[in-house]
Amino acid sequence: MDNKSLIYEVKDNIGWITLNRPKKLNAMDRAMLDELDKAFTLAEQDLDVKVVIIKGAGRAFSSGKDLSDEVSKQSFPAEPGERQAFTKDLMDVQRRFDRRWEYISNVAKPTIAQVHGYCLGTGAFLAMVCDFTIAADDAIFGDPSVRMGMLSGMPLWLWLLGVKKAKELVLTGKYIPGKEAETLGLITKSVPAPRLEQEVLDLAEGLKLLHSDALALAKDGINAVMESRGVGAAWRFTTDMQLIMQSKRNRDEDSRFFRIAEEKGFKKALEERDAPFEGFFK
Amino acid sequence: MPTGFGWEFKTQYQKCQWEAAEYKGRQYTDTLYEKVTESIARLTFNRPERRNAFNDSQFSDFHAGLHQANDDPAIKVVIIRGAGPAFGSGHDLSSPGQEESPPINPKLNPTVIDYYGLERRRCGKHEDIMNFPKITIAQVQGACVGAHEILAGACDFIIAAENAMLGVRGFGRMSLWASNYHGQWPAGSSKFHAGKLLPEISGKEAEAVGLVNRAVPFEKLDEETLKWAEGFSRLPLETLVVIKEWFNGMMDITGFGAAQRLHYSQHLQIQYTRFRSDEVNFYKMRRDKGLKGFIAGREQASTPKG
Repeated sequence: MDNKSLIYEVKDNIGWITLNRPKKLNAMDRAMLDELDKAFTLAEQDLDVKVVIIKGAGRAFSSGKDLSDEVSKQSFPAEPGERQAFTKDLMDVQRRFDRRWEYISNVAKPTIAQVHGYCLGTGAFLAMVCDFTIAADDAIFGDPSVRMGMLSGMPLWLWLLGVKKAKELVLTGKYIPGKEAETLGLITKSVPAPRLEQEVLDLAEGLKLLHSDALALAKDGINAVMESRGVGAAWRFTTDMQLIMQSKRNRDEDSRFFRIAEEKGFKKALEERDAPFEGFFK
Repeated sequence: MPTGFGWEFKTQYQKCQWEAAEYKGRQYTDTLYEKVTESIARLTFNRPERRNAFNDSQFSDFHAGLHQANDDPAIKVVIIRGAGPAFGSGHDLSSPGQEESPPINPKLNPTVIDYYGLERRRCGKHEDIMNFPKITIAQVQGACVGAHEILAGACDFIIAAENAMLGVRGFGRMSLWASNYHGQWPAGSSKFHAGKLLPEISGKEAEAVGLVNRAVPFEKLDEETLKWAEGFSRLPLETLVVIKEWFNGMMDITGFGAAQRLHYSQHLQIQYTRFRSDEVNFYKMRRDKGLKGFIAGREQASTPKG
């Protein structure tokens, strides 16, 4: 496998997927997403793999979509004066992107997200669609999409948190630490950072003792119930709402995040994005 | 014999209730309208002597306020609060019989069509608020009961006083309105355990289970709510509204939309309740002991003895 932005290896019946762009806080670009797809396909087909663990190299799990990569540019709203892409093309791109998370949530093996540092945006999506999410107490979860005029396209916010807390996180774009994520039910467990790796290994070792078929069927059963209670339709609906979000014209009052990023760089754009909300939504 | 309450079908082309309320030239009395800042409107239920219980006039002013806030392009956030010690105690059970707030008195001999039309209108009020196309924040102190608890649930956010009291003994949480108490939806939320939700819970308890967003000391309530409203007013409105529509749409997908319909029929069925001799009979108690006597009797009947 091409090891540029993602490392996949099998060791002791565990499929290890390591997001590997540490200098970019494992931001997901087109290349990483393609390799993520391939890694899950391999892990699912390999009879030697009983459990899949996903983690991030360096200081973070993942800071989300790489906002400077074409994978993000495809889904920006058009700037004033710019011609909007055809809806059918937008739908095609967006549906593939959104359905990736649905596919991962249905992989027929138990999946564990091992989260430290930033776990934002699509990084949080990946953590949420895993069966288990074990985080460091000081890991940071959230999705700042609203502050950039974008939708956080993950139905499971609602299913995991309930409507009040889901609206709180997604409509404010705020971040929360791992400990609070555990209290809210967003993740399985939060532990002190030095304990994280061992906690995940202990869980994986326990899962390895269980019967593969039973695990697969139990997971599928729970997913089927959730799907029949609306998650299935919600994946489709989420893509529709993404298109609406992309089709609206950027007004002056909206965030000019991407324009500022072009002019002054992403670091400055992030600062200017979050500065107005300092001290709010605590 | 039909009482004249009537049956109105609401199609997609008809206005929702707040949209049909006229605000131009209105003197707000039972609900007050103000602009706190250019982008924040605040509606205050103003019948503190009745614990802000809803009568037709309070609803009418409330709907007009929502309409006015919606039509003002500068407004992004609407705070909804109550004057006096309570957010609100639900529908005014002592309203005159011809009003739509109290239960229909069986003496009026309403038909099923009358009941159903009334219930659709009464329950539909809350769906309309849930779909209000700007951010809504309920600021809750004191009692938050019945229709007011549903209303708070229909808002996007609830900021409550720690000692606020949601629900009331004798008026079960898992009854009429549980099917559409938005804060509990979806019932798969890991923090929701049906058996643990007591008839009344404090703002602090509600925060712990995720039914309200924040609980603060009462003296900080105004300030905290305004802070959240100010934060939201700094976010792009179109983005907020599309995200809100997405969440509400997903809740519809889970069956919430169908549950709204269930709410009408539940309310209707309740109207046909026959009280056994040992059960708390609202109409009899109100006649014999007055409204206060009824409330005391209800509380006593639902308090475990010993």
